Amino acid sequence: MTGLFTAVFSGFLLAAVAPWVHRLAPRRSGWILASLPLALTAYFVLHIGPIAEGAAFRAGFSWIPFLGIRLSFLLDGLSLLFCLLITGIGTLVVVYSGGYLKGHPELGRFHAYLLMFMASMLGVVLSDNAIALFVFWELTSLSSFFLIGFDHERAAARAAALQALLVTGLGGLALMAGLLLMGRIYGSLELSRMMAEGSGPLQSNPLFLPILILVLAGAFTKSAQFPFHIWLPNAMEAPAPVSAYLHAATMVKAGVYLVARVNPLFAGSPFWFWMLVGAGGVTMLLGACLAMVETDLKRILAYSTVSALGTLTLLLGLDTIRATEAALAFLLVHGLYKGALFLTAGAVDHGAGSRNVAELGGLRRAMPITALAAGLAALSMAGIPPFFGFVGKETIYQAVLGSSAARGLVTSAALLANLLFVAIGLIVGIRPFIGALKETPQHPHEAPVDLWIGPLLLGAIGLAAGLVPGAVGHDFVLRAASVVMDRTTETHFSLWHGWNTAVALSLVTFAAGLTVFAARHPLSRGFARVSGALAPVGPARGYFRILDGTIGMARGVTRVFQSGYLNRYLLFVLFTTVGLAGYTLFFRARLSWPEEVLHVRFYEAGLVAVMLVAALTAIRSRARLVTVIALGVVGYGVSLLFLFFGAPDLAMTQILVETLTVILFVLIFYRLPQVIVLSRSAGMRLLDASIALACGGLMTALVLTAVRVQWRPSIASYFSEHSLSLAKGHNIVNVILVDFRGFDTLGEITVLSAAGIGVYGLLKLRSGRGEAP
Amino acid sequence: MGIDSLPAALSVIRPELILAVTALVCLALDLLYKPADKMPCWAVAFFGSLAALASTIASWGTEQEAFSQLVRMDNLSNFFAVIFLMVGLITLCLSDSYVQREGLPAGEYYTLLLISMTGMVFMAQANDLMTVYLGIEIMSIPVYVLVAMMSKSPKSPEAGLKYLLLGGFASAILLFGIALLYGAVGTTQLADILRQAPGALKASDPLFLAGVGLLLVGMGFKVSLVPFHMWTPDAYEGAPTSVTAFMSVAVKAAGFSVLIRVIVLSLSPMAVDWSQIFWWLAVLSMVLGNVVALVQENIKRMLAYSSIAHAGYVLVALTTGTETGIHAALIYLFIYALMNLGAFGVVIAVSREGDQGVEIRDYTGMARKRPLYALAMAVFMFSLAGVPPTAGFIGKFYAFSAAVKAGYVWLAVIGVLMSAVSAYFYLRVLVVMYMKEPEAGAEYSAGPWGAPIGAGVSVSLWVCALSILFLGIWPGWLSHFAQQALQGLTSLL
Repeated sequence: MTGLFTAVFSGFLLAAVAPWVHRLAPRRSGWILASLPLALTAYFVLHIGPIAEGAAFRAGFSWIPFLGIRLSFLLDGLSLLFCLLITGIGTLVVVYSGGYLKGHPELGRFHAYLLMFMASMLGVVLSDNAIALFVFWELTSLSSFFLIGFDHERAAARAAALQALLVTGLGGLALMAGLLLMGRIYGSLELSRMMAEGSGPLQSNPLFLPILILVLAGAFTKSAQFPFHIWLPNAMEAPAPVSAYLHAATMVKAGVYLVARVNPLFAGSPFWFWMLVGAGGVTMLLGACLAMVETDLKRILAYSTVSALGTLTLLLGLDTIRATEAALAFLLVHGLYKGALFLTAGAVDHGAGSRNVAELGGLRRAMPITALAAGLAALSMAGIPPFFGFVGKETIYQAVLGSSAARGLVTSAALLANLLFVAIGLIVGIRPFIGALKETPQHPHEAPVDLWIGPLLLGAIGLAAGLVPGAVGHDFVLRAASVVMDRTTETHFSLWHGWNTAVALSLVTFAAGLTVFAARHPLSRGFARVSGALAPVGPARGYFRILDGTIGMARGVTRVFQSGYLNRYLLFVLFTTVGLAGYTLFFRARLSWPEEVLHVRFYEAGLVAVMLVAALTAIRSRARLVTVIALGVVGYGVSLLFLFFGAPDLAMTQILVETLTVILFVLIFYRLPQVIVLSRSAGMRLLDASIALACGGLMTALVLTAVRVQWRPSIASYFSEHSLSLAKGHNIVNVILVDFRGFDTLGEITVLSAAGIGVYGLLKLRSGRGEAP
Repeated sequence: MGIDSLPAALSVIRPELILAVTALVCLALDLLYKPADKMPCWAVAFFGSLAALASTIASWGTEQEAFSQLVRMDNLSNFFAVIFLMVGLITLCLSDSYVQREGLPAGEYYTLLLISMTGMVFMAQANDLMTVYLGIEIMSIPVYVLVAMMSKSPKSPEAGLKYLLLGGFASAILLFGIALLYGAVGTTQLADILRQAPGALKASDPLFLAGVGLLLVGMGFKVSLVPFHMWTPDAYEGAPTSVTAFMSVAVKAAGFSVLIRVIVLSLSPMAVDWSQIFWWLAVLSMVLGNVVALVQENIKRMLAYSSIAHAGYVLVALTTGTETGIHAALIYLFIYALMNLGAFGVVIAVSREGDQGVEIRDYTGMARKRPLYALAMAVFMFSLAGVPPTAGFIGKFYAFSAAVKAGYVWLAVIGVLMSAVSAYFYLRVLVVMYMKEPEAGAEYSAGPWGAPIGAGVSVSLWVCALSILFLGIWPGWLSHFAQQALQGLTSLL
């Protein structure tokens, strides 16, 4: 069953060569490239029969064997519904883009992104592996990013592209975390394997709630649910075909698809119910109200899409058979009419040069075919019989009336949203074409065939599906619904069910919708006032606040940590070191005072006193030379201490090293400017002093602990016993230096000579510079 | 034990010997040729490194100790040596024309690079704390000099001095830690430390615990984990770009090779203790690195902070202390090396003499003027951000799933969130390249693609970009080798 692989990856391949195809046939590239989505549509149409009978098709191979990740595809009723939407609308959109962007220098690139999106979206709905699903999911976000930012000369387009990517990309990552956790619980990342195990292991797991939130975060960001809906209206910066395809018909439904796909695992949980119904309901109403405020054709459509996505989420949340069927039927309905409306909006923009509804009117004479297409779609949106939209609306009413909880609330919300939909449908699909011809920036003219064929076909399908709803309903919606509900469903779809509450509600909707349309101007002003008042606490402001806050924090952190001052850097390193070592010492280790009392002889005490004075001088002195000499005194003191405790070789080395260091210091410091006092304020000095004291304290503690350690028999006795027998020498110190530790001595000599050469080099450099003018 | 036969012992350190001899030859050649003609030095360095790489690959699968167990060659050391040498070779390709353009002393430059690589291989093969220390110093000192080499720019010597002073400090802390550890267990040999550690832990020996803490500080500095990272942005910005590229991947990988051998493998009995510290260091590095990178205007500084964040991701994998975790870290380091080198490669290609043109705004509209460089940079940025199907995604995926598998769910969640933040600044480069028009009169290193900056840069860019895509789609291959690298070692865990 390699067909599914070919179906997904042929899109990527064609995307890679699309710019060249465009270069070869710049005028006909849309039509040529559309042949692939057309072929794929035919391929999926062939599967309708078997799948309607309950078959499912699988394909898979091992991808990352070490982690048990397979690239596996599954075609069942739910995927098929989406696949047909993706490839079918894809075909029309590719043709449309060829005409819409005719002569645009980057059209080839545009087609490449569009095909890449189509292939990724097919991957999302066909993947049976959670990780593969995530990968394709992110690829759709990515192609959406490029498509929104396609018109990149405008800053608004760039900002919108980035916003969409940030919101959906972040959601995608949350989704991945959720899916990984699910994989851990089920021991497999295959979705079908999880389904087979049922919802038990997941719902009884303590991590159930976090997983639910993570998965829904992915779904809600992608499907523009409140409060993540802000990116979708801004995404209208994209060219019209992109809005129609990605941001109405397919990509934004990926979240809905995900919710439907994993529904059998989460269903039954009250959290699942309330999160979906709550977010869906709020989004549905908010989107519809905000759509009334807008005047730009595309932004109106965008908010009504937000509202439609809310409706879908709400319906899936209700989790009854009727509601699921309603959701899937509405998904199809919405894809058809919204795709068509976006495409006609593009055609109107193309033909009349404006998308402002206030400026448009009477275009039916100039653009008759576009007007026909828009009218068909708008009537479907308004839910007028015999359009498919009517069937969709009827099933929605039946579903909300059958809701188990909060029936009154859900039903009134659905009623409100639907009556606003009637008004919106009339505003965008009918109003621009009727009445008197208004003055437009461009003399209106009919769009070329590329631009009207797509919307007209979509509108016609909407009408045809309404006339024979049984065929569509049975073959697609029921199979898909049975996947979502995880059991077989049998309902009869028809245009006319006889007189019932749903029909009554429809009549109310239509009448109220017409009223709203008539009173749209005062209503829109009212909504605008409310939304203006709420803007300071709205999510759009929140997005920018988070963005600015993060950047502000970054600047703050940089100021504190990256001051450029070395002493500040050292401070942090020391602080952490003392903290880390001190913490382990005092809280983890058993510290104890050394048992044997230290016998301090008077000259030792005197020497230490001298060293202390020297150290204090080094701190206090402002002159570099004095500091260096004081430090030298400390060093020589240490050497003397070594000598007192019977380590002449060590003392010797230390003296040599000290001497060289002092010389080097003097040579270099002589050439440097005067000391700059960095820590001026008393606070800084106090901080410096406390860090220094803490370091000293740590060292003291460590030295005191180290004193107790006695590993081997004292090495001194070994030397005195064996110096004659092994090395034939009476002078033990000599024997140690040249025999027992001969290599050490050689090493020390080498180091010293290297350092000497260095000093010589420095001196020479200095004299060389001195001679130069 | 006895004294090893010399030829056998030398065969263990064959890559180091090849590198060291090459370095000396390079130095000698430098004296023979005129400053303008440094091609022989480059060629010697390149083929020497290639020979060392071949020798390493040839000894894949063998396991041998030498010099009284001071060094140990096994698949883990070979895996790291392959990373170092691969990075070294690519760095040489990136350096050739850059060194000429910036007027750096070529002979010394290549010699120092080779000596630094020698130290790294020693670090990977270290089987004793003394070798660890020596390896670190052999690696670090040449890099201090390399950082300060661009004497024309005032930033470079300042960066070198800061790096030297802080690095010297960290070395001293590391050495002190080694001394304390020796005081606690009476040995510097890693195998013996592993044997003694449970006893020392039981007695809560303060020397042992403090020693390990100081070791962590020293190593944290080398791999630039927060809060030991301050030198990184300054040093990365000031250093010649080719050196920055080398440091950001090879020095880091070398630090991690020691961290894995010493802390994760040899101190596995105290995993409970260090994994807590790792947890915090990982979180701090990911958060600070990614958040601060958001506001950087200089691309070298941005990549410096990004490198801090990536060290954090590697540490996420190591926090687990499991075989899966180390495996993930190895894969991550390999992938990171390719993508970061590639990114710096583009920085070199775009910059102009005197290290001009390293601000992000200099990339404006590059997609028009240099479509192929822009495409390569896009691959590297996507990969660094961890976007599928690039290798960067695979690396992050391995690292985070190792953490989830070991029960560090929050660590993985923070990591994922921070990757999302990182997407912002990586994509900013893309937006600037692809979505803005080039400013009028903006300069680029002239000529059609690649010619003036040298074929070496172009070749390395394509090698890196294609490997990233290849590994992103077929990661099984790398995973297999990383698995082999851990064979026989994970019984220690």
